[in-house]
Amino acid sequence: MDRFEYSKDREATNAARAHALEALLIEKGVITSETVDKIMAIFATEMGPFNGAKLVAKAWVDPAFKKLLAEDTMAAVAQMNFPTKGAGAEGEHMKAAINTPEVHNLIICTLCSCYPWPILGLPPYWYKDPSFRARAAREPRKVLGEFGLDVDPSKEIKTWDSSAQIRWFVVPERPPGTDGFSEDQLAALVTPEAMMGVAIVKPPVN
Amino acid sequence: MQTSFEHFALGSMLGQSDMPPKDNGSLCFGAPWQRQAFGMAVALSKQGAFEWEDFRSELISTISAWEATHDRSDPSWDYYEIWLTVLETMVERTGLTDRAAEAS
Repeated sequence: MDRFEYSKDREATNAARAHALEALLIEKGVITSETVDKIMAIFATEMGPFNGAKLVAKAWVDPAFKKLLAEDTMAAVAQMNFPTKGAGAEGEHMKAAINTPEVHNLIICTLCSCYPWPILGLPPYWYKDPSFRARAAREPRKVLGEFGLDVDPSKEIKTWDSSAQIRWFVVPERPPGTDGFSEDQLAALVTPEAMMGVAIVKPPVN
Repeated sequence: MQTSFEHFALGSMLGQSDMPPKDNGSLCFGAPWQRQAFGMAVALSKQGAFEWEDFRSELISTISAWEATHDRSDPSWDYYEIWLTVLETMVERTGLTDRAAEAS
């Protein structure tokens, strides 16, 4: 018999299985009805690209913070009151690469899939693709073009290779049309792709 | 170690075959039962019912077993269904629910 054989009402069956398991564990006193929500709240609020977006937005409105972020990234992160303080697995040695009118930064990792995930969330599938990593190191302009990002020929492209020691992220340039935006409004514009350097932050759509 | 368990759990899956699906960098769930199954596994491991690494190695071997018998593009692939199956197996192994299992 195929152990992966599916019933016709697969979704309903899975939902019933998950529900039955939870009910059983609650009945046995192993967990409570609030356990799953408590666990998931940690994933939803403490870890993800929204943390990085807040860093970027603050850097856009506060030049002193931007300078600190470039020079001592972890000190800047520590100021943010992130629930995890940016510490912990994969987040201990993050470094910011700041985009300017002259330089576009791209983060890669030619060895593995090192990634500053407390602030960027989980990496997209292609990040660990060997051909992406190798080509991004060798011909970044062409690879970025394939991502739909045509970097102005006058701009230098710098690639930053993440490692177990240093995990890079990009502070993109502030888009035009955002004068007077609050930090929250600005943060909402920042995507994980922009913080990897494979995209830019687009001006808000009106 | 400063690492909170939730960080450790996700970090240990980064770039591996058992990495959960995600959307825009965050975890994503297609249905409430997927979130329920994910949350239960992390909660049980966090409180010591089983080792996270044991859960993961069971998950990885179950994914491998699926891949060995299915085409990679088979649309019947369901990450969280496999997750749920593994969770049921792990809970059974703990013996935490034995009495109820007999009753059913």
